[in-house]
Amino acid sequence: MKILRINMGAEGGPKMSEEPMGEYEGLGGRALTSAIVSKEVPPLCHPLGADNKLVIAPGMLSGTIAAMSGRISVGCKSPLTGGIKEANAGGQPSQVMARLGYAAIVLEGKPKDDTLYKIFINKDGVKVGPDKSLKMLKNYDLIERMKGEHGEKIACISIGPAGEMKMAAASVACTDMELRPTRHAARGGPGAVMGAKGVKVIVLDDAGMKMRDPKDPEKFREANKRWVEGLKKHPVTGEGLPAYGTNILANIINEARAYPTKNFMWGTFEGTQKVSGETQAKTETDRGGSATHGCHRGCTIQCSGIFMDKDGHYLTKQVEYETVWAHGPNCGIDDLDTIAMLDRLDDEYGLDTIEMGATIAVAMEAGVADFGDGEAAIKLLKEVGEGTPLGRILGNGAAVTGKVFGLERVPVVKGQALPAYDPRGIQGIGVTYATSTMGADHTSGYAVATNVLKVGGHVDALKPEGQVELSRNLQIATAAVDATGMCLFIAFAVLDQPDTFQALIDMINAFFGSSLTGDDVTELGKSILKNEREFNTRAGFTAQDDRLPDFFKKETLPEHNLTFLVKDEDLDTLFNW
Amino acid sequence: MTLDPDKIQGFFPLLQCGFMVKVRIGCSIKTMLCEQFGLNPEYVEDRIQTIFLDGKTVDDIDSAIIKDGSTLALSAAMPGLVGATLRRGGHLALLRSGITHRGGRKSVSRREGMVVLKLFNLVGNELGPTFLKRGIFVRREDLEGLLMSLPGEFWGGCKAATVDGQEVGLDHLLGMTWLDNYDFAMLRVHGDL
Ligand code: SF4
Repeated sequence: MKILRINMGAEGGPKMSEEPMGEYEGLGGRALTSAIVSKEVPPLCHPLGADNKLVIAPGMLSGTIAAMSGRISVGCKSPLTGGIKEANAGGQPSQVMARLGYAAIVLEGKPKDDTLYKIFINKDGVKVGPDKSLKMLKNYDLIERMKGEHGEKIACISIGPAGEMKMAAASVACTDMELRPTRHAARGGPGAVMGAKGVKVIVLDDAGMKMRDPKDPEKFREANKRWVEGLKKHPVTGEGLPAYGTNILANIINEARAYPTKNFMWGTFEGTQKVSGETQAKTETDRGGSATHGCHRGCTIQCSGIFMDKDGHYLTKQVEYETVWAHGPNCGIDDLDTIAMLDRLDDEYGLDTIEMGATIAVAMEAGVADFGDGEAAIKLLKEVGEGTPLGRILGNGAAVTGKVFGLERVPVVKGQALPAYDPRGIQGIGVTYATSTMGADHTSGYAVATNVLKVGGHVDALKPEGQVELSRNLQIATAAVDATGMCLFIAFAVLDQPDTFQALIDMINAFFGSSLTGDDVTELGKSILKNEREFNTRAGFTAQDDRLPDFFKKETLPEHNLTFLVKDEDLDTLFNW
Repeated sequence: MTLDPDKIQGFFPLLQCGFMVKVRIGCSIKTMLCEQFGLNPEYVEDRIQTIFLDGKTVDDIDSAIIKDGSTLALSAAMPGLVGATLRRGGHLALLRSGITHRGGRKSVSRREGMVVLKLFNLVGNELGPTFLKRGIFVRREDLEGLLMSLPGEFWGGCKAATVDGQEVGLDHLLGMTWLDNYDFAMLRVHGDL
């Protein structure tokens, strides 16, 4: 595997170089993006300046036959948080890029003018060329154009108008199995950094390339078989997620009275049943779509789906839990078709759905529109895509919008909007929101493998500081999974079935000829977090940035009469290990 | 209503909205599920992994006591860190200790009462027929909304309908005037389900 570097600001136009992995040998996914960013990007640089780098890296096992191994990581200094960022996505590019032999593509420098470039990579090499005609194309139109130019057997990584306008909520889109731009590395604005590098699209074509070869093919195949069996027999990965997708959570979180409603004013939403995973799956199948679909080849869980409009025409992929919540209940909206349209527009413009939902809710609270007004939400999102003055404000996220409209209840940490769980209800999640190196991020502590990995030792469930210990362990385990390129949904099978976790380790070892143990995986997770934490410290972050917004400590969540109770001094111990 | 077996799913949306059933209150969740509803204890243990009683997460189904008017929500195991956190028991329960059900006072008197049941996801699919056959009390607006939204294929599989013991035609049923004076209706489904 090798690293491709493209200096977009070189004299005479972009210059490419390929180099061996060198000191980054053995790393993939988030481990690789965070290592390169923390080592090579000056922490105090402007995120949209020439010194920032955009690093795109498939996971360690991407491009192999390993099931679930198709996540891709995108890293940079974030224009939204000002700290280090790793956002990851599914879709086809991870597998295709790995089969082309690239462990990472690093975009460096900055063009002198506003020329927009297309990068094409196939078995014969890399071509970078200007293409003015791509300017301000929405993602779906862009991909249609690429299909016309390069055929249907490609995978694309692209930005929409939001990335070109360098908005802090801009995403990097990845195409799915149907060659639609539906999978986004979205959190923290990596699309704005890609826009600042002047790159509209990277087209990958792996025709003529083979699957990556394991060192021990027999052991690898056998471990993958155990791996798939483990995923299939678990009720979450084998039944719940395939049947309903991630939005299966809507009813549950609402019942826990921790379903943030109308900009975190309430913990329950009366229209939840209208937008629940159960209703969504039924709507999809009734209209001839699908409630069970993978986002990339080799996904056996298939938590995704296809959402058709009322006339039975494709509108968007199955909208995920976080998106349904952000654009739905968080804005007081209970109509699935409106929410699906907002999801489609986010994908078209290249925007983070969580950030945009949170931002529109903040705007609604400020009186820009009424809560529950779906038409108004669509209009506001269109303003973002068109880059009107109001759209430019909204496209820079909830923190900026809250400031512009003078609002106190702005649900962000490190400038990034909170996902779909109220931290006053589920306080342990609040610990992760507050302390994650990424800003408020539900996936940072997602990999619930602690009882298998015994990361950081056993937690005493009776001690209040246990929440901090648990969050620490979860964040370490998640960082390690992010390095493998495995979809985080594997975590549940791994949590409950130690033999499935062992199958994953065996697969890594058979592929690389290594002899990793659970402890090594823990160390990998720790080293990733250490790199990220150090970068943030050098970028000027202090303990004060590891806090939830004040209103969570002062305003109670009415349904539970609870504020966020975890003490600051306990939060400050999270990274002590 | 008497239905073809594959049509019962048409009523599943009512299960997530919540419906009422008559039970003997003052007992534990486990007693109610296994002894009153006749659910298999293994099913309860293995499948019903996520339980809320009045909005609080339940870990111990032996100590959480059902009261008159309680709302009980049942679900399979859920994805995501939060899903795992809300699951019964387990070391992640600590992450949501503020909303954990603390067990009930054993002194709630044992008598007849009503509880609201919500059945979500796989649990709704699996237990829905049992409850629909027993009969469930549903809010008038929920039933009205559902009946009006059911497609033509559903009605094709509807063999007969009776209201208060009187056989009625589809027009009468969908005319909804029979519900005019009620806040709740009891729905019972028959057939080879
Ligand atoms: S489980 Fe869902 S997110 Fe994960 S790889 Fe499969 S479709 Fe993509």
